[in-house]
Amino acid sequence: MEFPGIILDTSTIIQIQKPARNILYDMLIVGAGPAAMSAAVYAARKMINLAILTIDFGGLMNETTEIENYLGFQNINARDLVSRFEEHVKSFEIPANYGVPVKEIKKKDDFFSVFLEDGTVYSGRTVIFTTGERHRELRVPGGRDFVGKGISYCATCDAPLFRDKKVIIIGGGNSAFTTALDLIRVNAEIILVNLMKEWQADEILKQRVKKYEKIHFLDNHEIIRIEGKDKVESCIIKNRDTGEEKRIDIDAIFIEIGLLPNSAPVKNLVELNEEGEVIVDCLCRTSVRGLFSAGDVTSVPYKQIIISAGEGAKAALSAYDYLVRTSLI
Amino acid sequence: MGKISEKDRKQLKDIFKSLPQSVKIVMFTQEIECEHCRLTRELLQEVAELSEKILLEVHDFVKEADLAKTYNIDKIPAIILIGDGDYGIRFYGMPAGYEFTTFIQDIINVSQRDPKLPHDVLAVLSKVYKPVHIQVMISPT
Repeated sequence: MEFPGIILDTSTIIQIQKPARNILYDMLIVGAGPAAMSAAVYAARKMINLAILTIDFGGLMNETTEIENYLGFQNINARDLVSRFEEHVKSFEIPANYGVPVKEIKKKDDFFSVFLEDGTVYSGRTVIFTTGERHRELRVPGGRDFVGKGISYCATCDAPLFRDKKVIIIGGGNSAFTTALDLIRVNAEIILVNLMKEWQADEILKQRVKKYEKIHFLDNHEIIRIEGKDKVESCIIKNRDTGEEKRIDIDAIFIEIGLLPNSAPVKNLVELNEEGEVIVDCLCRTSVRGLFSAGDVTSVPYKQIIISAGEGAKAALSAYDYLVRTSLI
Repeated sequence: MGKISEKDRKQLKDIFKSLPQSVKIVMFTQEIECEHCRLTRELLQEVAELSEKILLEVHDFVKEADLAKTYNIDKIPAIILIGDGDYGIRFYGMPAGYEFTTFIQDIINVSQRDPKLPHDVLAVLSKVYKPVHIQVMISPT
């Protein structure tokens, strides 16, 4: 017989080594979105002993399709940009614990203990907390029952499932309009429903979406119930001015009503604002010495990839200065 | 011509550069080799040439029957990956096609002495108290 050949798919090979549990790291980076990856690159160049603790690489970037506002790239696929970030980080061979969420961070004396959901504990002199945000859930009857059965929080993932179907998008900001663009690509009939009277998205996005023929705009409306047997079949929608309710037959509902900060692991440790975001100063310092934070989880406004990347770099440099000033390295 | 292309050899050399600890590949074939045995042995020889950390040991399934029994090998070609000890990793047949990538990942995991499983999964697995026989069937295409 002939040799059938080999397929070497290096993209699936995991070379990263896990962090050691018996080492006190100079820096633990929690999360691996753009803020974390940028922090990792800056910290690694300082040759300090660091490790990354994350669920995934890329965070919410993995749920976006095209990115048109990251300097240097007029248009780049989000996953390609994540791969470039990841490749840059991996070139430093930083140990990483991947796939397990962080449960809690505690400080004792001059060092931090980071507790993972599976019981593992890592120790660090400093922590850069960059856990980002998660989608705000739609809390109406049926809102939880049909997640994955017609209710989606990720158009990049699910839009192709609804080619030529009738869908509702809830929300009025950039995420809702970007979701509309994903659904326009699959020729869906779209109803955009917004709680407010104004549409908050960028003008350029609004203009692009409004050109589509099969889209209807319902401002000042809210979904009050989602119905179906095994999957979403219809929903009850209410006009907030008149109180009038009507049923709309629908195949899917995409929810884009904002994001919530993933700050639970530090809620008993640092000061948070009313939105639950970690309060940081201009040096990415939190209310706890040695704990720095960057990216979407912080009180810094404008949740953008480029801002997160910049803040991550700043957090790493700030943490490094802290280590030097306090003679911890 | 080699079984691993020049491009793949270069990539593998890069990947193997960061192997922290040695890995021993134990292969069982026989004197009069079956086609699969010969092709597998030649492939493994090429892999082993790419890193000083990878050591290849080839044994005869018939002449060294006792050794084969020690490893619980009952068919050939058989591959065993050894780190600090025998972790029970066995490949039967040729790790060609997509399985080549899986095979390389296993070499990395053994070299790192890390199964890359979450601790809670490892905790559950540690409760397996009697031998469980699992065979995963794959095709090289």
